[in-house]
This record gives sequence, structure tokens and C-alpha cells, in this order.
Amino acid sequence: MSVRALWIISHEKGEHVSICFTRRFATVEHRAKSLAGSSYISVPEDNTVLQLLLTELGLSDPDKAYVALRDDCLHRQRSPALELHVDSPGKGILWPVLTISHGPLTLACLPLVDVPAEPRPALASLLSVSQGLTLLAGLQTFLLGSGGKPDSEGLASRLAMLPSVLLQVCPLGTPLDVPLLGAPATPTVPTPAGNQKQPAWKTGLHRGRAAVNVALMETVRSMQYGNRSRQDLWDVYGTVMCKCEVEGVLPNVTVTLTLPPNGSPLQDILVHPCVTSLDSSILTASSVDNFDGSAFSGPYKFPFSPPLEPFRLCSYTSQVPVPPILGTYQLREEESQLRVSVTLKLHESVKNSFEYCEAHMPFFNRDQIGVADVKVSSGQLDVSKEKNLLIWALGQKFPKSREVTMDGKIIFSGPTPGPTDPLCTELTAYIKLYFKVPDMTLSGCCVDQHSVQVYSSAKPRIITSRELQSKEYFIWNSTGSAPVSSGQMIL
Amino acid sequence: MAENWADRISAFYRSPSRFLSGTTAEAFLAELLHELRDDRASYSVKVLLLSPLCEYPTLLCLSDSVGEETALELMSVFVQCPPKSVQFRCHLLLALTSVLVCTSCVSSRSRASQDFLDLLLQIAQDTSDLHGDSSLRSLRATACDCLRELEACSPGLLSQCLELVGGLRQQETSRLHQAYAGLHILVLRNAVYQLTQEIGAGAEHLKALLGGNTSGAWEAELDSGLMNNTDSAILSSLILGPMGTVPTLQTGPDCKELRSVLSSLLEESYLLTPLCQAALLHRVTEVVAMVPGVSPAVFRAQLLRLLGTSEVCLLHTTLLMKCAFTDSLFSAEDEAFILQRLVVLCQHPLLSTPEKLFYMDCILHFPENRPIGFGDGDEALPVLLTPRLASALVPTVFNDSATMLARLNMLSLVYLEEGEEGEESRGLAYLYEHLTSLLHIVENGGSREIVVTFFRAAYLFLFHFCHVERYFLSLIEKLCKLYLRHTHLAPHFINLADHTQDKLTESHWAVVFLKALQGFVTEAPLAQLTLQDLRWHLKMLARVAEEGEIQQQSTLSFLSSVITPSSSSLCVSGDWRLGNSLLGVCRRLLVHPSLDSLLIPLADVLQHLTCRYGDTDIQDHARLYYTLLTTLSREKLAGVLAQGSTEGGRQVKKRSLSCIVAESEGLTSMLTIHQTEKTIFRLSEAGPEPQEETQTERDLKQNETGPGEANAALDVYRAQFDVPGFASEITLNYQLTHIEATDSHFDQLFSIRLHFNLTDDHYEELSDISVPCLFRERTSPNVRLRLKPRRPYPTTLHASAIFTTQDGLSWLTELPHIHVAFQQAFLPLPAPPAWGRGRRLSLFEGLWDEMNSDGGEDLAGGATSLFCCQLKEAALTGLVEKHFLPYLISDVSAKEEFKVLFFLPPQSHLLLRIRSEDPVHFDIATDNWQLLPHISSYLLAITSSQEDT
Repeated sequence: MSVRALWIISHEKGEHVSICFTRRFATVEHRAKSLAGSSYISVPEDNTVLQLLLTELGLSDPDKAYVALRDDCLHRQRSPALELHVDSPGKGILWPVLTISHGPLTLACLPLVDVPAEPRPALASLLSVSQGLTLLAGLQTFLLGSGGKPDSEGLASRLAMLPSVLLQVCPLGTPLDVPLLGAPATPTVPTPAGNQKQPAWKTGLHRGRAAVNVALMETVRSMQYGNRSRQDLWDVYGTVMCKCEVEGVLPNVTVTLTLPPNGSPLQDILVHPCVTSLDSSILTASSVDNFDGSAFSGPYKFPFSPPLEPFRLCSYTSQVPVPPILGTYQLREEESQLRVSVTLKLHESVKNSFEYCEAHMPFFNRDQIGVADVKVSSGQLDVSKEKNLLIWALGQKFPKSREVTMDGKIIFSGPTPGPTDPLCTELTAYIKLYFKVPDMTLSGCCVDQHSVQVYSSAKPRIITSRELQSKEYFIWNSTGSAPVSSGQMIL
Repeated sequence: MAENWADRISAFYRSPSRFLSGTTAEAFLAELLHELRDDRASYSVKVLLLSPLCEYPTLLCLSDSVGEETALELMSVFVQCPPKSVQFRCHLLLALTSVLVCTSCVSSRSRASQDFLDLLLQIAQDTSDLHGDSSLRSLRATACDCLRELEACSPGLLSQCLELVGGLRQQETSRLHQAYAGLHILVLRNAVYQLTQEIGAGAEHLKALLGGNTSGAWEAELDSGLMNNTDSAILSSLILGPMGTVPTLQTGPDCKELRSVLSSLLEESYLLTPLCQAALLHRVTEVVAMVPGVSPAVFRAQLLRLLGTSEVCLLHTTLLMKCAFTDSLFSAEDEAFILQRLVVLCQHPLLSTPEKLFYMDCILHFPENRPIGFGDGDEALPVLLTPRLASALVPTVFNDSATMLARLNMLSLVYLEEGEEGEESRGLAYLYEHLTSLLHIVENGGSREIVVTFFRAAYLFLFHFCHVERYFLSLIEKLCKLYLRHTHLAPHFINLADHTQDKLTESHWAVVFLKALQGFVTEAPLAQLTLQDLRWHLKMLARVAEEGEIQQQSTLSFLSSVITPSSSSLCVSGDWRLGNSLLGVCRRLLVHPSLDSLLIPLADVLQHLTCRYGDTDIQDHARLYYTLLTTLSREKLAGVLAQGSTEGGRQVKKRSLSCIVAESEGLTSMLTIHQTEKTIFRLSEAGPEPQEETQTERDLKQNETGPGEANAALDVYRAQFDVPGFASEITLNYQLTHIEATDSHFDQLFSIRLHFNLTDDHYEELSDISVPCLFRERTSPNVRLRLKPRRPYPTTLHASAIFTTQDGLSWLTELPHIHVAFQQAFLPLPAPPAWGRGRRLSLFEGLWDEMNSDGGEDLAGGATSLFCCQLKEAALTGLVEKHFLPYLISDVSAKEEFKVLFFLPPQSHLLLRIRSEDPVHFDIATDNWQLLPHISSYLLAITSSQEDT
């Protein structure tokens, strides 16, 4: 349940590689030695580890098309744990090395194998593996911020803080916690003497006005083919973010999610560890199961004791009967030009009030856009600076008819070829929709302000909100072949 | 100074071994400790100084005693450090823990480790920080963590403190209760484990353990058990799956105390961070597994919370619990639910890729309540994972590489089972379609990552489904077309062929594939062939030519159509790399089993290269191959070439600058002579061979001849020299022996040819000597060196040898120089064999007189001399018997005067008359005065050694 070593590497696609942080846990290594006996493989020096890691990650020698060690087709890339093939001193395989990458940072650790090493145990039998993954993810979030946006100055200062952070969260190789993202915004006080034990995940106590903020955000993904032989796909998942400023060592808060009558049940519910108890009926509905009409459909109660920082209380998926925007996209090649025809229909159940709504139409493997002779029934059309993308800004509202169209032709005659893409060749093309609708959810799920219960002396201010946003919302050209995005509908 | 230390520490971290090679571990450690005691150094620097001790204690403390001393030093630093420097004090505790654990001071219970343990327990119990600065509390937290680590590394160390730790945990209301809880459960777990190892331990012992009132005798027992505990089993996780066995403690139903401790730990588990909670639950699971008296139902209250969690480590603990307790805690519905949950998590949009991959791994190692197979660590599908359920995880082109491969692998397993039921598998058709769409992406110029992923996917597909007829040929055709469009992918294709051949031994897919590729390559219109394509084609054809089952005629006609037409610019260009690729194919054809049918076209190709190729090196190589092909028998050819290639081997490709010449590298090493670095063997002097009876041994009759016949004897004797080559050689016997402690590679040597070089012109040139073999373990072969002196002087010979080792390589080695001493040129008198002692004596006298007469006409070089020395009579007799016996002319028993004659080829004589007077007189006469200095130093040497005895 411990890790032997930890590395943080920065690189740009395999170049400018450096180790920004490294930590070895000598006592865990000592245990590893007694556990493994004669099959013990020591951890080589950092430079060697770095090279081996890059090879395993497929990042070494970026300028070479084929490197046998890196590109071998036997390589088990599908496992979350890498093998480092150590050459000297002492040949052997260092396993399991866990890695997690985001942008320029790759974090890696080597969990202790505390079951007999021969034959190689399953990852699933090593608790240190899931702990290592949690630690790495926590460190990554700490270094890059929850948005995952790396900024070099912030990164450097956070890297400098790592030694003292590790003293708190992983002093001797056994991960105890993940680092906190900065200090809590509200003043806190140390624990008063009392009988109630303070949760270890709570750094202090809130003092001041009580407030509970519950934000429900649904994300809709879609693949629309406009083709009878292939069913359109869409799915919705929601997350409930909470920020609770409530006094007390272990205050009780309950948030209740409700569905409208006939709403389809929330599925695949995952909860934050601060949720104290769950009703088994909440967990039963699953997206991979046969749809069961008689399933429990709320209200969904989540009693919990909040940590100080904002957190994701729960997440769910939902099967909604229709996609919010149904589109058709047709391209026809006519000599040197492309005929374009697009229709987008906003479903009547969706509030016609967007924060933003844009349709992006990229064109690959062609010259740059020379002339875009295209008419739209609503909104505004722009050609991107790079001249390979049409951006159709639909603004805040669809017209009354809830339908917009685009028609016209595009001539590709730019002086230089545009970007290439191996997937979107010939007439394989898509429109990607970006939109956000405030104050609505597709599933109809909502958090009623009055349903938030806080068991404390002061009456808290309660704010709830909800919104719908799109992600990976694709409408494929129906005259070209489109890639399969899920086998579930086909099988 | 501070900056200096930062630099030095970072230099140490960059490469500890290189850093320490510039100084010594002792010196660096001493510097660190000195600086740590220095009051002027800031605490931030001191924290930095501790890090090498924390991370590399065994590099700095080379022995346990150094570790002990270092720990004592650090503890004195700790005592002197003001309580305000909390961070530094925390780091000191960590460094102490690392040093003491890693130098085995803890396991041997050294004094420093006892002191440290006391210190930690004291800090852990000191709750005075409650009212003060909360930052002080982190020292207590660190102390608890150090205690936990000590207990983890030396299980049982804190068994005596179980009650104390439990009490501290219960009292603590600050966040620190987490640290106590972690310590408490670990100590409890190790103590219970030790009880399971005690014969006859039961409920009473458990109660005593928890109550802290262990009897004295029992304590000693525990202690000794601990000291002997070299077994690492106690360190291992006890949750091994259905086939693992857990040591158990039979308590009967009476273990209320334990149950209440566990319940209280579980109740408060919610207050721990997910990471600590997972660790605690895992340890509690182990304890419950060891004590059947406690029902797994204690976990029930936590289960729903754990099953609904979004935390990977908490769900993982639940899976481990399922592994440990199977249906005593989880019903069949629970099992179905958990599996379903795992499938959901494998594709959940909010989880990270590593987490999803981990969950997929968990499905393939799902702890089933009633497993059918054996949990041998191999991937296996849980029975409940139906194709319908799994269909949520079909791979798509939108997946990242790792996810896609993991899904392809899992779905392949699913459809493999489905296929066994004999149905037309739509799932398999989907997977094939997916592979095809990947192939199209590669075809349309996908990135390197996609290319690599595609080949991995293709391998996985073949691994599972290469027996399915429908896809067997269709995939081959698609791959061949892909190759023709993207010839630069040749290394990937070769890699795929290699692995499918190695791993799927029952399938002949790889051969069929390579054969198809050969067809595509050789039949493609030549007009469109670019130089770049040709390079890859040649690589491909070389691989195809490794297959004995594939006919190579088309390859050869391709080669010949590429190089022979006069329009071909290839030969003119004389590109060396290309030439090597051409030769690479030819070289494999030379060892192809169907060589007989390829002989003429191959010879044509080689000859064409020899004559026309625009690069001399290629021409030379082609000529060599041509010569080998036309002169060597097939077996020999195969022998020479095959050995060269097995050395490099297909699998172990040398990654060197000379990669491109690797093709001929093996061959070159077969055909060139390597030089040994050290001497391998030498010639050591052997005793004289037992000769056929020498004259001295023969019973010679003294009175055979009268003294008057001296001149006649001389004439007869001299007449012998008219025969050319008479008595002109000396034979030296040597043994060829290995020099000790050399490379075992040279243990068996063959076809050794020894060659000698003269260092002066006193001897005729020597001819080479052949020795068939030399094995280290067998008796050394004899080597007879026949020297033909021009002048019989001492000399030195330089020797070298060429030999072959078992692997067929040829070597040149130098032997130690051979010194030929003066006396080695001595021969007994070459008198006619029929002569008895009398005639020999008269010959001696004749020669003596001649040499002593001043004006001997043909003895211009004649000279006499006298050598005297002190020798007792016995010593003299010994000397004569030892050194002169073969050359003695007079009778051994005639002790008043010994007459000795040395013949030195070609025609020199040295005569000695030795009279045992005091001092002993050696009268010397010779017909070659230049021998005098040698004889006198020889006599000096043997007489002085005789004096010593």
C-alpha cells in the first residue's frame, strides 16, 4: 500500500525532457527488497528511469519512424501499468510503473508489490496500484490546477512546494491524502476541544455566515449521422458541484435531486466519499443494463458532511429521448467546389435561450477556403483565420421556427494546403456544435432550493443553479462515410 | 555556502553514483552531519541536507554501525533543535526512520533504534500541542507515521504498545486520529498475524493482546518470534484470491473485544481521507480473514457507501473484500451489481484514462464468488460478463490508444467465447470492421502513434482470431495493399510477422502473409518503383527469404529485373546502403533451403553486382558471396553463413551506428581474424621424451678398442657429416597449455597453427606447427620444436598462433616468448650407433688433442679454457649425474676424471675433463672459441646451484 518512488517529468512531445521532481522512499524500498527476495530489481538512477519511461510511453526518439524497443507490437500498452526493462545493474523488469500525463507533465510512480511476485500478480490484487493512481491524480491536480491549464510560473512555484506538500500527504511512501488546492477561501479555526472527531479531510472549521451553493451541470454528447442505416447517438451526464460554508465539526447537509414526472431515472450514480449513507435504490439504475421502467426515479437524497473546499457531490448519467439539437449535414462535391447544406433544429423541450451556440465546420485534406458563398437563415458566418474552418455563430436564440439552415458552395483555392486529418478524408466531414444553455437540464433533474437541508443553528443562504452544455457534439455529413463511435447500437 | 549546498545536493540527485565517485560516502556523510550541527546554517538548507539521508540511506551509511552512529548524531541534532522549527524536526524524524530501517538497526533492535522508538512514542503521546500552534501538531503526525513505517518494516515491533496506541486513537479528536488509526490497525494486524503463527494460540491470547496485559513469558515468546522472523510472509498482503490460503486464529465465537475494536475503527473510517480509509479497510479485511470468529458482516454497514463511491481506491478495497470473503459477504446479486458497476466505470466520461484502464484490468481479474478457472494471474472473463454487457466497451476510433487496445483485448476474449458456440459472431465482425477502419486511418496518413496502435491492434486480433478463416486472408490482402501504399511501414510489418510467427506457433499466418507480400512486391509494376520503395522492398524480401517454405524465384527475378537492365541507374549510382540491402537479400538466399534451384540466377545477380555495381565495397562483398556460392559445398556455405546470422539473431538486433552493415556483420566476423586481448596459451617446457636407450645406458665395453685408433675413429666420425643434414637439428619438447583464468570462450580451441619468428640469425627459419585441438580440461598436447642452428647460441623465439573457437570465429594470439638456453642446444655425441665406449673415448681423446694442438688447420676457432670451483666429491658426482649423463664419455664410476662431450649442431664440440681435485678443475676444449663465454656461464650456473644443495 505504498510507493517505492515518484517522478515528475516535463516534456514537449518527447523533446526538452527533464525530471522536475523525484522522490525515493527508502523504507518502502527496504520492504520491497525483503518481499521480492531474489527477484528484487532495484530502481536505477533517474536518468536511466527517464529514458526507459520515455521509451515505454512511446516518446523516445521522436524523430525516428520506427524504434524496435518503443514500437514493438507485443507491447502491452493497454495496461495502466508500464514495465521498465532495466538493463544494468541487475537485469530485470521494474513493474508496475503507473503514469498519468497531462499536457507537458507526466507523473509516474512505482507501487510496492506486496503479494508474491511470481507469477506476476494481477494489478487488481495490489491496493498500492489504486492508491498510486489516486496520489498521482492528486499531485497532477495540485500542479496544474483543477482546470488542467499549465502555466509555467505557477507550475514552478508549486513544484517548489512539493517537498513540504509530500511531508503532509506522503511522508514515507504511504499516501495519506492528496494535496489541497490552495488554502480555503474562508477563515477557518482550529478544532475546539470536544467529543466530536474532526474528519481528517477537513483542515479546519468554517466561521462566519453559512452558505450552500449547489450547481448542477449536465453535459450532452452526440453523434448524428443523418443516415437510416445508422442510429444517431446521444448521451447525457450530470455533475453536482457543491460549495458549503457551514459551521460545526461534522455538520449535516442533505441535497435532494428530483426528476419531473415521467423523467427517466438517473443512472450510474457515483458519490463523493463525504456522503454518509446511500439508499440502495439510488444505485440500481445502470446505463449498461436493460432499461427497467419500474426503476426508482427519485427523489435522490444525498446526506453528507461537507469538506471546506468545493467538491463534486455526485455524478449521474441519463437517457433522454431526444437530442437537444437535431442536425443534418450534406456535402456534395461539384467539380472544384463543395455544395453545403445544413439544417439544425432545436427541440421544443429545450429552452431557447443560449449563453452561446456555435457550429464549427472544419475542412481537412483540402486547400484553404477561397470563396465561401454560403447563406445562413440566422446567425453569422465567419471563415477562420487559418481558412479551413467555417464558424457559424447562432447567438443566443434560434428563430421562432426553432430551425436554422445553411446553404451554399465553398471553393477551395487557397495558396497553401490546409490541415490534414487521417479520419476526415474525402466526404467524411462533420459539424461540431458548441453550446451552453443556462438554467435547464435535459434530464429535467433539478435541485430545489428548499430541498437543501442544513442541520445547523444559523439559517444558511442557499443558492442553486443548473445548466446544460455540449461536448463532443458531432453531426456527420450524411453523404460521406462516418466512423463508428459506439458498437452498442450496431450489435 | 547555502547555494553551494543546493547545487551539491542537486548534483547528488542527478546521479548519486557519479557524485560519490568524486568523493566518498564517508566524507559526504561527515560533511552533511557537520553542516547539520552548524548553527549558522538555515533550517531550509538543513532540510535539504537531510534529503539524501532520507532517500539514499544505504548509499551513505555503508554499514549498520555507521547507520547507528549517524542515527545517534541525528538524534542529538533533534534534541538541540528548537521546537519552533517543526518542518526540520519532521524531516529529521523521517531521516532517522530511513537510516535506522535501511541499515537493519531496527530489525536488530540496536540501541539507537530503541532510543528513537522511545522518542517517537513520547512525541506521539505528547498532546500539549492541542492548545498551542496547530502547526506543532504535524510533528505528532509525522511521529505516528514514522511509528507506522517502523511497524510495517519490522512487523511486531510495537505489539506491546497495542493498547497504548488504541487509547491514543480513541482520545484524539483532532485530524490526527487518522494517523493513530493507521498505526493502530497495522499493529493489531501484525500482532494477530503473529498469534496465528503460535501453536495453540486462541481466544485467551487475543484477549490478552488487546487488553495489553500480556504475560511476561508470552512477551519473551513474541520477542523471540520477532527476532527469528526473517520470513517476508508477514509483510505480504493476505488477500490472495480464492486459491490463496490465509493463516487463521481459532478463537471460537468469543472475540467480543476484537469485534468491538474493529467496529469502532470501521465506524470512524468515514472520517479518514479516501487513501487512509482504503488502507484501513484493507487491514481490517486481513484481520477479519485471519479470525474466523469475527463475521465479515462487520463491513456491511459500509458497503453501500463504498459501492457508490467515485474514489478508485475505495472501490478497489471493496473488490479486495469480495476477493477475501466471496459469498460470505456478497450475494450473487451483489456480484452482478459490482460487475455492472465496473463496466460503467470503464467508460465513464468523468474518469481518467488510467482509472478506466485499471477498472478494465479489474474486470479481467474479477474476484468471482465461484470461479471456474484457477486464479493463476491470467486474464479471464467473469462468467457474468455477457456480450450484451460488454458491448458498452467496444473499441472505437475515438478512443485513445491504450483504451482502444484494452477494449479490443477484452472484447476479443468475449467474442472468442461466443465464437465457440458456433454462431455467426456479429461481435467479431464488428471488431474486424474496427480494425479495418484503423487501417484506413493509417492508410490516410495517420500519425506515428496511430500506426503503432494499429499494428498492436492487428497483433491482438491475430492473437485471438487467426484461426478464423474468413478474416485470415482478407486481413492479409488489406495489409499487403497498405504496405504497397506505405512502404516505409516495412519495419512494422516485419515486426508483426515476427511476433505472430513466434507467439502463434500453430498458425501459419505469418508465412502466408509474407508470401503474399512477396507476391505484391515482386509483381508490382517496376515503372512506378521509387528508390525509397525499393529500399523497403529489399528489407521486406530479405525477411521473406528467411522463410524456408517460401519459394524465392520471384524474389530473384525481381532482383535481377531491378539491377540488370542497362537502363537501370541503380548500379550506376552505386549507393552503398542500397547495395547492402541487395546483398542482404542475396545473403539470405545463400542459406535458403531451395538454394539448388536458385543457384544460377543468384550467381547471375551476384556476378552482375560484382562487375557493374558502382561501389567497390559492394562489389567486393558480391564477389565474396559469388565465390562462396560457387566454391563451397552447400553444407559449408550454410555453416559459414548461418553461424554469422545466429550470432546476431533476428530477435536481438544490434542498435549501433553500423546497423546498416549488420547484414554482413556476422559474415565479416566469420571471415576475419580477431585478435585476442590477452594471451590464451603458452608453450611450457616439457621434460625430454624417454628416448630410445641412449648410449650412456648401454653396457659399453671399454676394452673394445685401443687408444691407438683415435685418428681412425676421428675420420670415421667426420665422414658422417658429409651426409647433408646429419645431426643438424635439436629437438625441444614443449607442451601447449592454457594460461590460467582466461575467458571460458577459449576453453575449447581447434586447428591451432603455431608460427615462430626468429629474433636473430643464429638459427634457420622454423616451419609452422599444427595442433589439432586444445581443451582446457584435457591433457596438454606435446609440441616438438625442431631447431636447426647456424650457430648454437642461446636465442629467443617469438611465437604466435591462429586458432578457431567453438563458435567458428578465427583468432590470432601472441604467445609468451620462448627462450632457448645454451644447454638446450647440447646433443650427445653423434657417433655411429655401433660404437662402444672405447671408440667414443678414443674419439674424445682425438678431438681433445686436436683442439689442444695450436696449429690445427681446420680448427681455427679452437680454444681451451679452465673453470674451477669448490665442490665436494659427492656434489660433483651429483652434478655429473644430473647434468652431464647423456654426454658422458667416460664411465660414471671413473670418478677421478669425467670426460664429457657436448655436440652442438651443426658441427661444434665442447669437451670437458673434470677432475675432482680441490678445487674441482673443469678443463675445457672446444673447436669454436665463441662458445666459451656461454659454457662458462653455464658451468657457473650449474655448479653454484649444486653448491647450494
